Amino acid sequence: MYEVLEDFAQTNNLRETSPGLKLFIGLASILLCVSSPGPVAPLLVAASMSAAVLALAKIPARFYAKLLLVPVSFAAMSIVVILFITGGGAVLLEVPGLPLAITADGANLALLLLARVFGGMCSLYFIALTTPMTEIFDLLRKLRVPAVLIDLAMLTYRFIFILIEEAGQIYRSQVMRLGYRRFRESVHSFGMLAGALFIRTWESGESLVLAMDARCYDGKLGIPSDSRPVSVPALAGGLLYLSAVLGVSVSTGGVVLV
Amino acid sequence: MTEPLLEAENVAYAYPNGPAALAGVSVRIEAGSKTAIVGPNGAGKSTLLLMLNGMLRPASGAIRFDGRPLAYDNRSLRELRRRVGFVFQNPDVQIVAPTVEADVAFGPVNLGLPPDAVRRAVRDALGYVGLRGYEKRPPHHLSGGEKKRVAIAGILAMEPAVLVFDEPTNTLDPASSEEVMELLDELASSGRTVLVSTHDVELAYRWADSVVLMEHGSVLARGPPEAVFSDHALLASARLKPPALLDLYNELGLRGVIDRDAPPKSVLEFTDRIERAMHGHAPARDRNGRIYLCNADLTGGDEVRRLVERGTVDHVGAMGTRAKEFANRERILLDYTYGVIDKCILKALIGENSLIITTGGMVEHVHRRIGEYSAESGRALAVIPVREPEDASLAKDDRIPI
Repeated sequence: MYEVLEDFAQTNNLRETSPGLKLFIGLASILLCVSSPGPVAPLLVAASMSAAVLALAKIPARFYAKLLLVPVSFAAMSIVVILFITGGGAVLLEVPGLPLAITADGANLALLLLARVFGGMCSLYFIALTTPMTEIFDLLRKLRVPAVLIDLAMLTYRFIFILIEEAGQIYRSQVMRLGYRRFRESVHSFGMLAGALFIRTWESGESLVLAMDARCYDGKLGIPSDSRPVSVPALAGGLLYLSAVLGVSVSTGGVVLV
Repeated sequence: MTEPLLEAENVAYAYPNGPAALAGVSVRIEAGSKTAIVGPNGAGKSTLLLMLNGMLRPASGAIRFDGRPLAYDNRSLRELRRRVGFVFQNPDVQIVAPTVEADVAFGPVNLGLPPDAVRRAVRDALGYVGLRGYEKRPPHHLSGGEKKRVAIAGILAMEPAVLVFDEPTNTLDPASSEEVMELLDELASSGRTVLVSTHDVELAYRWADSVVLMEHGSVLARGPPEAVFSDHALLASARLKPPALLDLYNELGLRGVIDRDAPPKSVLEFTDRIERAMHGHAPARDRNGRIYLCNADLTGGDEVRRLVERGTVDHVGAMGTRAKEFANRERILLDYTYGVIDKCILKALIGENSLIITTGGMVEHVHRRIGEYSAESGRALAVIPVREPEDASLAKDDRIPI
């Protein structure tokens, strides 16, 4: 999954759009979702972000649906709890024999929460599926995030994939020798995997220092990036979209300031 | 004897809690040479190489660069490492940045070059290894051979005088290995000093002009590859076997089929030898094949494609990464991607025409090599340059109809 996500970020149809604009629209949408008092605005965001991902960036619908299933299943579980424990308003449904009931307020809150989660996740996926991590690093540098943090993030990002590869190799070699056949063995094998991974991480950390030294490391990583200009129609469209969502949000429940 | 560029004198080293990794090793690397350090696993090759750019400090003995012993303070080490570039065996260890571009820029940025110079260095280095267009790719999306070339570009971007490669073709498939070795040839022919460690005797025999044979942390022999690899006992004591070509030559010599004088370096040389031994002379042929030479920097693809489509040439070979890129772009199918000149001479000798696509300084090299061969063997081989488009009419007149 991790590689597929990366692949789409690298090859989607919105790849050449300014990463700043994509990030701005995505983040602003998340903020609007979270701050909206009614469920209409988040649902609007979810719909439009999904449309952008599917129609503009040309991400396959099946893959996108599979991705969305992950957060939605989490949200569904928590919403069941909220449905029952939040009180107030008219009783809609009672569980016979148990002191449990769904009330109108509970149902409204659950709906709002689901809409917010959905809208937020769609916005987040919009960023993740259209903007490669590496461009976000460039952007962070332009936003004057401290270099130490960015360098650390870049190294982490680079080594995530090596770590996954290593873990996969160890895991496969364990499976091949029947390491996960019974529960006891599984626990034991997993412990070994974690231990081996720790040692290998340590070693690759040391060889990283060596490699960086061999290349005259002087505390600098990355290059001054070339900026891609934001196209005016794209910026105007984005702003128009965001103000429309804000308008819907305000008109369906007022602004929540506190 | 000239002053060596890089020299290890009686160097000894032991890893903490380990046996001696190097026990009194002396090596001299001449400027502009192609040296292979050959030995089995654990012979101390990597340890020696790591000393040459100051990554390890010898316990005793001295390393000299440009006649001066290495100093181990930070400033001198940085200067040394800029001039002696080290390409690690595993490119995953060496590639640190999340994009190809950022990784190649790592060295230049740390050397404190201004942004424009960094960009230029990155562009040049990526062009040299044939990876232009890969700038924004993350390294984990590259193949093994591509990763290796990124690692090489990262070192080239610092413009070192000496390039040190630890096992350059290990874990690469044959085609990628050949590409890397050809890149090393290109680097050497542009005047850089290239040093590799390897346990691949075939590779060392074909590529190197000087070999250092190592085992158990000491040097067993040094000299030209044909001398070092002819000594079976010596090779056996280093747990290696002789290159197939040399082995065959020695055995044929022992049976009295051919005279043993100077061992052949290539299949071409060997074929000629056997032919002479069999017929007593090089048989005269009615007509040798022609070798067309195309400079990919100057010639258009149409010109070259026409040659191939008309059947004027039977075989096409490309030398160097830029020439291969050109062939790829122009959809010209390549028959030879390594050992190109020799292959084309071999084909010319049996009356078939071939085309060599190459770039830059390699054009001169092709002329020289074929000229040398013609002079040595007494068989005149014609090299016909494929003209650049502006005087295409001239080229047409030049071409002899078949």
